[in-house]
Amino acid sequence: MSILQDIKNAVRSRSIHVSYVDVGSCNGCDIEVLACLAPRYDIEQYGIYVHNNPREADVLLVIGSVTPQWVDKLRDIWEKIPDPKVAVAIGNCPISGCVYARRGTLTTPPVENYIPIAAQVPGCPPRPTEILSAILSVAPLIYKDYEEKQQ
Amino acid sequence: MKKTVDVSIPLGPVHPCWKEPVRLKCETAGERVLRTEVELGYMKKGIERIMRGRPWQEVMFLAERVCGICSVVHNMVFIETMEEISEIAVPPRAAYLRVIVNELDRIASHILANFSYCYTIEHETLAMYLLNTRETVLDNLERLTGSRINTAYMIPGGVRFDLLPEDAAAMLADLAKVEDEMRRYTGIFETGPLIALRSKGIGVMSREEAIRSHTVGPTARASGVEDSDLRLRHPTYRELGFTQITRTEGDNFARVMVRFQEVFQSIDLIRKCVDNLPDGPIRGGGLCKAGSTSYAGEAPRGELTYTITTDDYGRVVDIAIRTPSIMNIEACAHSMIRDAASIADVTSTFISSDPCIACNER
Repeated sequence: MSILQDIKNAVRSRSIHVSYVDVGSCNGCDIEVLACLAPRYDIEQYGIYVHNNPREADVLLVIGSVTPQWVDKLRDIWEKIPDPKVAVAIGNCPISGCVYARRGTLTTPPVENYIPIAAQVPGCPPRPTEILSAILSVAPLIYKDYEEKQQ
Repeated sequence: MKKTVDVSIPLGPVHPCWKEPVRLKCETAGERVLRTEVELGYMKKGIERIMRGRPWQEVMFLAERVCGICSVVHNMVFIETMEEISEIAVPPRAAYLRVIVNELDRIASHILANFSYCYTIEHETLAMYLLNTRETVLDNLERLTGSRINTAYMIPGGVRFDLLPEDAAAMLADLAKVEDEMRRYTGIFETGPLIALRSKGIGVMSREEAIRSHTVGPTARASGVEDSDLRLRHPTYRELGFTQITRTEGDNFARVMVRFQEVFQSIDLIRKCVDNLPDGPIRGGGLCKAGSTSYAGEAPRGELTYTITTDDYGRVVDIAIRTPSIMNIEACAHSMIRDAASIADVTSTFISSDPCIACNER
């Protein structure tokens, strides 16, 4: 393993930029992601920054079952994120559609059909601590030795 | 919109300031923003279509998933509509407990709205203070109902859980702490010179415009529309001696201050409820019958109306929901953001009207 890779591993483990996209939920999960910013959970002490800008993101939090407007836009956003990248599904909606996966719905869950999902956090909505631990456990798996794995 | 100016700047649907996806299309001349148009439709899930033909036991849980921020009031208005159709009486203790949970939810929602505003004008310290205070409020909501966001606390003829005396004491202690902190933060907001520069006299909506565009809730009350709070007509709130808060400035500062003041008012209401909590059962029971009615309640963002038709088996045959944000967002785009000085004022003015897109599109 090269020294350069070691440095990259060390830096990336304390610098995770997060963007979240709501593709049609009740926004209960949105506000639980926002609650992670609160000093009680203090997401930034783990080196996670919530910017909501896909172009500088490492982790994309996908919230909600997919509404027709988002079918193509979600793929666009996923392509805009630079490598290495990872998507985490927050809540029941992106996994199964939750209460919206019924007769008469306009949504087309799950999100897995549109972009690759690395981790899922079930719950309606999940607690902020669960969201936090999901980001912390999935991000190192993707970023560790990323360049060496590519070769 | 007819294109009359040189540049068109789109904001959103993914934007650092927006909690939910919405697109604002701005018509600009240099730095000035002349007009804006709101483009909705990113969150349309068709929840009213899902609700139709289902028993009320299922629609109850769907109703609170219309909006995650104000889920309690959606639950409350749906249940009170069903009670009005079926002529179910609520025990007095349950009616008081409903007010407690509804006001806790309102405090959480108002603090979140003010957090968003402070975050948008880049006063991150105050925003984080507010978000931390909100966690204390959510703790109390969780202690009483068992859940932070989607509580499903109310059922026809009563509520699910009773308030234990030790929980009531803990709630009052927490509320004293919240009130103390909120007084400090309100002082910071009221007296901050840079906050005043970003907020006072920006996004002004006059009383006439507010009435003409049918704005509701804190947005209308900040513009001086009297008698626009539906809690004035709710029997339990009338018992508690509720009075409406009105400001006359109609700018961003007034809208945020109305929400700050309503937090203190809600804390007082909860104290009154806990002190005068009547004894007795919390569930009266009852049978949901056929009928049709329209019923409105006051959500944190304004008037929320449910129009429901049910059949003999308690199934919801037809339902229409009118949520407060739709009027506020349109009024914001047409009346408040007119000839704004810069794009930064557009985002802060839009957030100050507390838009809830999930409510809006359902």
